[in-house]
Amino acid sequence: MEGFMKLKTLDELAPGRRAPQVVAGAAWHSLLWLVTANAIGVLIAILLLFPALNRQLGEWTYGRWIMVHMNLELYGWTSLPLVGLLFRVYGADRGPAAEWCRPVLWVWSAALGVGALSWLSGYSSGKLFLDWSGYARVLFPAALLAVWLLLAFAFIKSWSRSENFSVAALAAKLIGLLILLVVPFVLYLAASPSGYPPVNPDSGGPTGASQLESSLAIVAILLMLPFGITRRNAANRGIIATGWIVLAAECVLCAALGRADISHHRPAQYLSLGSLLLWLPLTPAYYAAFEWHSNTRRWRLAFLCWWAALLVTGWVFFLPGVLDHFKFTDGLVGHSFIAMAGFTSSLIIFVMVQLLGDGGWIFNRARSFYLWNGSVVAYIVLMTIAGWREGFDPTFTIVPGTARNVLYALRLLTGILMFLASLDWLLDASTLLREAGSVSLPTNPAQEKTS
Amino acid sequence: MQRGERRKSGWQGVSLVAIAYVYFLIFPQFAFLKRLASLGQGATHLRAVMAAMAIGGILFSLLAPRVSRWPSPNLRLRLGLSVSGSAAFLSLLPLGLAASVVVSFLIGSGLGLLTVTLAANLRQWTGNRHPLMLVGLGTGIGYLVCNLPAFFTAPPEAQTAVAGLLCLAGICITLLPAPAPAPLEEAQALPQHNLSFLRVLLCFAALVWLDSAAFFIIQNTPALKAGTWQGSAHLWANGWLHLAAALACAWLLQRRGLPFVLSAAFLALGAACLLLDPDRVVLASILYPVGVSLYSVALVAYPSLIAPASSAAERGRQAGWIYAIAGWLGSALGIGMGRNLGHVPPAFVLGAGAVVLLPSLFSAFRQRAREVALTVFILLAVFYLHRVLLAVDGSPQLTQVERGRQVYISEGCIHCHSQYVRPNSPDVLMWGPVESIQELRLQRPPLIGNRRQGPDLTQVGARRSALWLKAHFYDPAEVSGASIMPSFAMLFRDGRGDDLVAYLESLHGADTAQHFTEERLWQPSAEAVREADPAWGERLFQRDCATCHSNGGRTRQTWQSNFKRLPPDFAVGSFFYLPPAGPDAPRIERLAQIAKFGIPGTDMPGHEYLSDKQIASISLWLSQIVAQSTQKP
Repeated sequence: MEGFMKLKTLDELAPGRRAPQVVAGAAWHSLLWLVTANAIGVLIAILLLFPALNRQLGEWTYGRWIMVHMNLELYGWTSLPLVGLLFRVYGADRGPAAEWCRPVLWVWSAALGVGALSWLSGYSSGKLFLDWSGYARVLFPAALLAVWLLLAFAFIKSWSRSENFSVAALAAKLIGLLILLVVPFVLYLAASPSGYPPVNPDSGGPTGASQLESSLAIVAILLMLPFGITRRNAANRGIIATGWIVLAAECVLCAALGRADISHHRPAQYLSLGSLLLWLPLTPAYYAAFEWHSNTRRWRLAFLCWWAALLVTGWVFFLPGVLDHFKFTDGLVGHSFIAMAGFTSSLIIFVMVQLLGDGGWIFNRARSFYLWNGSVVAYIVLMTIAGWREGFDPTFTIVPGTARNVLYALRLLTGILMFLASLDWLLDASTLLREAGSVSLPTNPAQEKTS
Repeated sequence: MQRGERRKSGWQGVSLVAIAYVYFLIFPQFAFLKRLASLGQGATHLRAVMAAMAIGGILFSLLAPRVSRWPSPNLRLRLGLSVSGSAAFLSLLPLGLAASVVVSFLIGSGLGLLTVTLAANLRQWTGNRHPLMLVGLGTGIGYLVCNLPAFFTAPPEAQTAVAGLLCLAGICITLLPAPAPAPLEEAQALPQHNLSFLRVLLCFAALVWLDSAAFFIIQNTPALKAGTWQGSAHLWANGWLHLAAALACAWLLQRRGLPFVLSAAFLALGAACLLLDPDRVVLASILYPVGVSLYSVALVAYPSLIAPASSAAERGRQAGWIYAIAGWLGSALGIGMGRNLGHVPPAFVLGAGAVVLLPSLFSAFRQRAREVALTVFILLAVFYLHRVLLAVDGSPQLTQVERGRQVYISEGCIHCHSQYVRPNSPDVLMWGPVESIQELRLQRPPLIGNRRQGPDLTQVGARRSALWLKAHFYDPAEVSGASIMPSFAMLFRDGRGDDLVAYLESLHGADTAQHFTEERLWQPSAEAVREADPAWGERLFQRDCATCHSNGGRTRQTWQSNFKRLPPDFAVGSFFYLPPAGPDAPRIERLAQIAKFGIPGTDMPGHEYLSDKQIASISLWLSQIVAQSTQKP
């Protein structure tokens, strides 16, 4: 009895076993920020319909809330699941490191909370998605550094504990760790007012080369992801090599394009961006070459569909004539929704379901799945219609009339539905976290082996 | 049969809770006070009369559970309802001071007996199946009924009569045969908590205090009252908000427990108290009913269902203390604060927060010591690191334009306004001229933006005067027709507004002469001129121009002495920038150019975003008005 009382760490309770609450905790924090950001999104949609309500908010007007909404979606909802993924890949969810996962998640969320308050208080760098300024500009990289320290600690621990590790896996993890170390410093520097990416002189937006560069970074993540969370199946191994070769070729193409301020009317720009369409057939084939938990089926399909939609619309919206019509309109808001609410959200949910395994049921309710995806589709359609009209007549939104107000009211409705879907996930994640916290279950050995 | 009885017993509980709330909310707090005022005792003897009510309430809340005579809960409840109902009907008589004090004492006594008896024995009327939800439903219905516009705005005599009749209805409900209790296996398990009774008592006292203070302030501040519970729409909204929040509270009590509900109630009520300002009353009007309903359900549910107690008598004693201390005293102190201070001091809200939230936070932090320690450590370490970085960087002296640019960034203007004129596009004519990439890269960072909810601002300094910008920041919709931009008047309380105006004034290229020449050559399309509609033009004038160009225009009135040259009143002239009398065509053409692009160097803005047909319609109508006014002697 006395010996039992002395047991304190998860490692002592179940040496070498995964602590299920680690990934569940990352999912919960992520969902908390999603719900918060979606609630703010609903507020923003209301303010666009009833601008007089801004008066009720004092200094916290529309422009400040937009910053909070966008950054919480990016640095909360879409980033924290990847932190959970890193915990799993580096073995931070087992052994003594597992005790520190939750504190590190707290630090991340505290940094986001401070960030939200700072944006509401008027601190901003003026750079979209790099809005970190003042105290928060130092705090958020510090939170990233805390994650890194934990990963490094877990890496060293698992190395010393491991009996049969592969040199390739070890090297890959070490290189990954070195790259991750750079991220906080890059983020701090990128948030500086000086430094700005290439500009498309005909649109004021990113050049084709810039878009290709950022898209290839996403492709690289997509290609790496399965190695962290599952294993290859026996068939179709050739497709994996093909995927990496195509990526390498596109990187060469991107490097050849350079980083100048070049118009989208140049054929080299839109044709090279069109090379991304190769990933339409390649990505599903690549993902079919890996073994996935049966719970992931629904969201894997969703993410692949959204990815296909993003590739096609991303290219079409960049074409001469199309971009000229839609630039600065709601049409591009709709397109960015395909990227964030469609593709990125379904991808990270798919990843979380794979990581949670049997606990992935929290994302698999039919009602929330269809509510979310249906609302996102409806939102995109509405914004595309609004953008199409606005492309002909800027007064459509500058001096709102009935048609704009109807579209925006419907947009508000879709926002409320998305909020409800995310709330459903958060409530289920709370239940899962409680269950995971009360029972320290070893995970499926087969699944454990895959990582 | 047994099942049917159980269902009926649930509705007995719902009805009794609703009746108690309707009586308490509408009669002593509203109808009786109005009745006293109509009897001429409102001002002079109000304190004495209300003191009698409080004494009666406190006395019977504490005594009722301790008196062993008439032990039957039904009998006691009938007695409480009888006293309450009688007091209501007696108040309809032409009362003198002494009689008012007696009736007031009876109201307090009846309520004390009624509420404590109901709370101590609630399961007798709700049964064991979903009692929390039934309490939530009863409370929500009570509030909803009180907010029914016809009832809320009825004369005090009618409200009093309804309150008395409801007491009679309550008596009838208690006369229904008592049903058998539900089998234990069907009883709903209620959440356990580890709150001490004293802590719960203090939490309720703090919440009632906040509620009563806010209630008194709203009731006695016309601007707040107009924004919260005047008009049918407000009342319906309040009623449904109360019902929704009460049901949500029952669900939360079951799922998350009492500490969560008390914390949520405090957050809603505390925020409402801090937002009791006529400019922000909409938010207060949402948060206040939510907070009130959350704690009101808990106020019934805690002593009757949640508090650990071995007998009905013990429940009664706990209910007595809560209703006497938190209910009656908390309410009196809150009203006193509202009356004497006229606002709820933030320090008091903070104190109430410490009572309600701190123990839960402290307990949570104790369970999460490692998380708290690491978070606090990093927050502090970064604080000092940030100070070091600031010291290294130094704080450069900014010009007014640079400060204004920072305000532009802080307010998130970039999310509605672009600063990029796309070459070879309609942007050039509307918002041009084009800025070169080299000029753009001199900005740190460039503020291109990615969305236009409003016009592009690259060259706004060449298109708008400082006065126009300032007037527009104060009240965009007044200056610019259907503008959806929020007011930024608050920026002018300190120097930020003037800095922002200086920055926007600085936004123009070195050479805009060529662009102005192109503007002077512009004409609406022939098709637009052909289809121009003067009636439409008049409507557009009223929306976009009348604020400056009619004698009673609001912008003209507000900024009269600030204009470089007072805008012409189109009813009388004179028109400095129009060609002298002659053929109509050149005048219409010039009017169209002015309406579209304004007059550089003056306070006259352009309306670049209007279509050719809109511009042609305005200029056609204006030319007719100008012709009329120039013909006047």
